[in-house]
Amino acid sequence: MLNLFSKKTSAPKQPIVIVSGLPRSGTSMMMKMLAEGGLQILTDAIRSADDDNPNGYFEFERVKQMTSGDRDWLDEAGGKVVKVISALLEHLPSDRSYKVIFMEREIQEVLASQKKMLDHRGEQNKVKDEEIAAQYRAHLAAVKPWLARQAHMEVLYVDYNKMMAEPGPLCRRLIEFLDRPLNEEKMLAVPNARLYRNRA
Amino acid sequence: MKTVILGFDSFDPAIFESMAEKNLLPNLQKMADAGGYSRLEVCSPPQTEVSWTCIATGADPGSHGIFDFVLREPNSYMPYVSILPTKKSAVGETFIPPYTTKTFFEEAADMGYPATALWWPAMFPARPELPVNTLPGLGTPDIRGQLGVGTLLTTEDETKKKTAVAALIPAGNNRFTSTLSGPAVAGKSGPQTLTLPVALDVINAQSARLQVGEVQLDLKLGQWSDIFEIKFKAGFLANVHAITRVLLTDLGAAKRVYFLPLQIHPLHSAFHYASSPGFAKSLWSKVGSYLTLGWPQDTTGLEDGCINDDQFITLCDLIFERRKQIFHHLLAGFKEGVLASIFDDLDRIQHMFHHNRREVAEAWYKKLDQFVGEVAARLGAKTRFIVMSDHGFSTFQFKVHLNRWLAEQGWLALKDGKTEGDLSHVDWSQTKAYALGLNSLYLNVAGREGQGMVNASELESLLGEVQKRLLEWKGPDGRNVVSAARLKHEVYNGPYARLGPDLVVGYAAGYRASAETGLGKIPAAAIEENHDHWGADHCVDKDLVPGVLFANRDLRDFGGISFRDIPFLAIGKHLDQSHIKPPSQVGPQGQKDLEERLKGLGYL
Repeated sequence: MLNLFSKKTSAPKQPIVIVSGLPRSGTSMMMKMLAEGGLQILTDAIRSADDDNPNGYFEFERVKQMTSGDRDWLDEAGGKVVKVISALLEHLPSDRSYKVIFMEREIQEVLASQKKMLDHRGEQNKVKDEEIAAQYRAHLAAVKPWLARQAHMEVLYVDYNKMMAEPGPLCRRLIEFLDRPLNEEKMLAVPNARLYRNRA
Repeated sequence: MKTVILGFDSFDPAIFESMAEKNLLPNLQKMADAGGYSRLEVCSPPQTEVSWTCIATGADPGSHGIFDFVLREPNSYMPYVSILPTKKSAVGETFIPPYTTKTFFEEAADMGYPATALWWPAMFPARPELPVNTLPGLGTPDIRGQLGVGTLLTTEDETKKKTAVAALIPAGNNRFTSTLSGPAVAGKSGPQTLTLPVALDVINAQSARLQVGEVQLDLKLGQWSDIFEIKFKAGFLANVHAITRVLLTDLGAAKRVYFLPLQIHPLHSAFHYASSPGFAKSLWSKVGSYLTLGWPQDTTGLEDGCINDDQFITLCDLIFERRKQIFHHLLAGFKEGVLASIFDDLDRIQHMFHHNRREVAEAWYKKLDQFVGEVAARLGAKTRFIVMSDHGFSTFQFKVHLNRWLAEQGWLALKDGKTEGDLSHVDWSQTKAYALGLNSLYLNVAGREGQGMVNASELESLLGEVQKRLLEWKGPDGRNVVSAARLKHEVYNGPYARLGPDLVVGYAAGYRASAETGLGKIPAAAIEENHDHWGADHCVDKDLVPGVLFANRDLRDFGGISFRDIPFLAIGKHLDQSHIKPPSQVGPQGQKDLEERLKGLGYL
């Protein structure tokens, strides 16, 4: 495992910036903010903008293939931003370092947004909302302690609801966390109340 | 990396939380307010030497082999002190390190950083081959190679339970003489105890002059002397050096002088006391003399009535102040790496006063909080700062003689018509289980124990039955005596696990194994009321005495934090990852539903 504290590591590589969280928790908005701020986004644009994400998904298809061992793409990801939903974080190899921006949003809002997206995709909502909400909560309760114990990951939790209400302080905290010269003004223009449609 | 660790032995979370509510511990409360506080899950059993070793290694006793204060040699059933093992070699019997499992101090050194561990238990003898600076803590012996008792010189005809007593003989003109016994050395006709002549000249009712060998001290009644050095002549050009303090406790009709246990002189030690010797010498010369015994706060002297409460508390204060000075001295030159120090006075204070003079214990919590404030003010923003304890504290109203209980249950039998005794009086052919140590219970297993009689086919059912009856056992107050009896394989992992006790006995609040149980003795009754000065303890069920963890980082996302997490928090690296399961392995029952949902949304 790469240890962020070791003196014996060779020349440090730039950490990979990961935007994570539950699907529909504001990860695409965060990707857009970082892109506007000046960071390079790792995306293949296979999944294009639609009604659910008018600004685009900023996804990279090969992220999904990590479960089957496709991780070579990470060699080119240093310093770039890539979206990895929380369920896939454990597949990131531990021989690299990451700065993880983890989006948090009211579960009911996440579910409402997911429901619409499932409808748009013609998928059935097979599990009751309260059941899936409990499962999401349990999932997050397992992910957070695991993240806290990863030596190769630094984590910043960003509250989507607060970001929508008052983005200034969180944006500054974000820039401080990434320790990169980012365009704050452009970033602040991204959180868009017009796109904040699924409120709890 | 720059990490500073303060280890406060026995700092109890319930007391912290209660005092913090009243705003009595502002510096620690400040850390807690920023999310940097958690109760700490400690290992089983929650004994000092076991717990700090688990913290240093991030692993349970199955990985390092220190299961209890007292262990046994299974073939002979002979007990030995786990933190002071010896080995016979061509040059005689020598101390060997109690464990060699890698600590986070060694790991930090491997990462290229300096590492220092002050007064950490089970680090005697020093291991010169390791690039870690150490002054050892609990387990460091006196110059006799034992855990250490003091000596009372007295004009009265008296005996003490543990303390050595020597006569002060009137020699005229207000002079009294005696002899101070030191270490034993090999003589022509066997081991020979070295001695020094002592003379006490009474000046008035408040002061006296003491001559010990070549050293002369002016003493005031009731005041501890400074630390001083004495030399026992062991042969031509051979001396055994020792350090101690002395207290004039009585100058009335009776005259009494009390010596602390004679301790290793760090500059003239026959053992590998510290690592490196230059480190110990530098502290001695730059900061001042310091006591070296693993348990220098003399609870035995207090329990035996050789010193009183105030004199004991003053001694604890003197030890704490000197250790703080040493720590501050090292902090001033600390640029990177790990600097960790354990302060164990609170543990001794609570053993003596937690139950009957709570204000004394609480004053010590305030003292430690103030120290935290002093240290925090000297740290830069990028320094990791951790404050923690190895366990909390509990009441101790009843002593449990576990071997008597085993006898009453029909699992232990004495031989030769004996009704009381120790393990040497046990009829092993009729004994299925025995207790030794403060939390350890062993089955008398055929092929493992020297005279084992429990066969493999019976093991599991017998363990289950012992466990069941332990948990059903009610004390004289009608409450449970034992709140947890953990099977070895449930709590221990690692190469040494097979050597551990078959059951780890977790006593309920109010109960603790008697000292006799610790040594394998079988007294008359199974339970005895505790009227000792030693009225509170922590060698109980681990869940009753969690420790504390404070850090200048947010701890709230960790969920439950245990001793296994400390290396990661200290140096950013886990030494044992067995407790970290990927979220998919500990996540919700409906993991399948989640996966389907994520697939439906196009994210998987």
